[in-house]
Amino acid sequence: MTPAVDRGLTGRQPKAVQSALAILEAVARAGAGVTAKEVAEDVGLPPATTYRLLNLLVGEEYLVRLPDLHGFALGRKVAGLAGPSVAPALSTAAREVVAELRSRVRSGIHLVLYTPTALRCVDVDPDHPLQAPELVERHLHASAAGKLLLAEQPDWQELVHAQRLHRLTDRTVTRAADLDAELRAIRGGGCAVQAGQVHEDLACCAVPVRAPAGALVAALVVTVRSTDPAAAVAHAGLVREFTARLGPLLG
Amino acid sequence: MAQLPAESPVAGLRRRRLSFVEVLAQSVSSLAPSAAMVVVPSIVLVASGAATLPAFAIATALVLLVGWCLTQFGRRMAAVGGTYSYTAKGLGPVGALIGGWALLIGYAAVAMAALVGAAIYLAGLFGMTASPFGVAGLGAVLGLAATLFAVRGIQLSARVALGLEVVSIALVVAVLTALLVAPRGAPGSAAPVVDAGVHWGGLAVGVVLGVTAFMGFESAATLGVEARRPLIAVPRAVLWTPVVAGVLFIGAAAAQVVLLRAAPLDVLTSPVPVAELAQRDGLDLLRRLLDLGIAASFFACVTGSTNALGRVLFSMGREGVLPRPLGSTHPRFETPHVALATVLPAVVGVPVVALALGAQARTVLTDALIVSVFGYVVAYALACLAMPLFLRRIGELTALPAVAGVVAFVVGVGGLAAAMAGTAWSGARGLGVVFLLALLPGVVWALWLRWRSPGRLRAVGVYDQATVSSVLPGSVPAVR
Repeated sequence: MTPAVDRGLTGRQPKAVQSALAILEAVARAGAGVTAKEVAEDVGLPPATTYRLLNLLVGEEYLVRLPDLHGFALGRKVAGLAGPSVAPALSTAAREVVAELRSRVRSGIHLVLYTPTALRCVDVDPDHPLQAPELVERHLHASAAGKLLLAEQPDWQELVHAQRLHRLTDRTVTRAADLDAELRAIRGGGCAVQAGQVHEDLACCAVPVRAPAGALVAALVVTVRSTDPAAAVAHAGLVREFTARLGPLLG
Repeated sequence: MAQLPAESPVAGLRRRRLSFVEVLAQSVSSLAPSAAMVVVPSIVLVASGAATLPAFAIATALVLLVGWCLTQFGRRMAAVGGTYSYTAKGLGPVGALIGGWALLIGYAAVAMAALVGAAIYLAGLFGMTASPFGVAGLGAVLGLAATLFAVRGIQLSARVALGLEVVSIALVVAVLTALLVAPRGAPGSAAPVVDAGVHWGGLAVGVVLGVTAFMGFESAATLGVEARRPLIAVPRAVLWTPVVAGVLFIGAAAAQVVLLRAAPLDVLTSPVPVAELAQRDGLDLLRRLLDLGIAASFFACVTGSTNALGRVLFSMGREGVLPRPLGSTHPRFETPHVALATVLPAVVGVPVVALALGAQARTVLTDALIVSVFGYVVAYALACLAMPLFLRRIGELTALPAVAGVVAFVVGVGGLAAAMAGTAWSGARGLGVVFLLALLPGVVWALWLRWRSPGRLRAVGVYDQATVSSVLPGSVPAVR
């Protein structure tokens, strides 16, 4: 981005912003599949202006063209507008599944919930508490749960700036290309692992919980006191049985 | 109710990684501006005389019109097959395959021309005369290098092309500036040609020649998956490339009008008048720098055209209209490696065989360029015609695109006819026939598929369409 000269909002720009927001509202109201013509009629703008604004919003990925190219839907970026602030409620059934897993493993078991663009540590193991849940939530490139979320993104740089991969320990990945390789391995392998990237002496493995439709909704994270990723992965097989049970409860 | 797939039909390429500048580099390198800056203005000067600058201005405007038509697609879909995928959305599979085949010819022929060009100028740089076998050997090495860059990764390839383009444009501008600053004599024997009066015929030929210098400007349209924010970056690159190139061409033409007015006629009609001027002024270093710049530009053009060519083949492989393996991607580099490797033998082989059969290197260069222009113009004209049809199909047609699409199509067909007639008059009589013969397999294949297995045509026009992960979660159901 080139630094813009600040001239304030001039001419018809305020009107254009209002029109763009009206178009977003119109698509949200009408639901997926609404056509450009229908949007133009709804908001009462001239067709050419409407099509231009629609294309701008599609370009910025707030709207998406459906595969037939004439229907529109809200883009995943819209979810980011709501932010990660919504405090998620966890059902008793889900808590019981997590508790049962804890009774069978001697390492820390934590449940994190995902929004499309963020994660929340909602059920931290009371016997093996996370040292710093906020590090996991903030530094998505370092934690296993965060890497799982990044691997799910069409473009992870929308969530973490490639130039701001913060170094938490000596083993934290800070190069975009290295993170690329890790995310590729995660997509291929089905779970995310890290050792010593958040805290020097901790390894963890995040196994995804997917809704029946396939969307990533949560993860079960195993943390072990080790510098060897294999120590965390050793539990993955057992944890998978529980993530399969959690899917229908959370999705 | 709409449903969305979990995975894009063109998955496997490295997604959303190229910055706008890298996307722009793809288009600029396919266009090879510095080579064109040095070679094309003098050819236009001979045809148009005093109308040279207006001819370049009109050519720029025409290319911008075509570019604007293509952005109507580029703002709406992230394609990998460039104008081939665009055409499919307006003209359907048969029209798309004809346009796509023409586009393949365009990219392949320009890659061949650029390969020979890079070899000639590289040989010149080291003071060697360009013997056919020497050029063939050098061309094979350069072709292999370009393919390796292309397979290794689009980002590496784009950065190499960008670096080479910046260096070559800087060198050409520096050489032209140095020549302008150097003292000049009185008007030479070329002055009457340079200042020849304006007439319509000369202007028209100048415009057609000028337009050819822009070919390849749309190749950013093959980076729909790999560009960050492709629906913004690709149209912007497709519009900015002709603007940047137009400014460079008009500047270079203005400089050469001044320089060549003071030159003898034989310099004006030599293949690279600017280099001749440098040589005559005793500025041998300048000539070497110019050779280096042109060689770099040609090599960037090889990588750019190979990248684009590979991605069009990749699209056709994914659709199943060409063998499926062409649609596979390298697991680690995430590039269409099979398609790119398939391109190499053709791009290197054809010029090497032509040279081995005794053709002059410079003839191979210009002939391949002319064939590529035919290919591009057919592809562009069909895509421009497809644009209003596409907009009508999705219910977004307004008056301006309708008029622009038809005008661009008519101008394209007219330009093609003029260019074909032009080569028929000049020595390059057979090239129109060569192009038509090269186009024939594509047309036959499209009609054959239409007749025998229309099912294979159903997938034509794949692009990086919306998936479950691109919409607001839960708002559109997934395909079961």
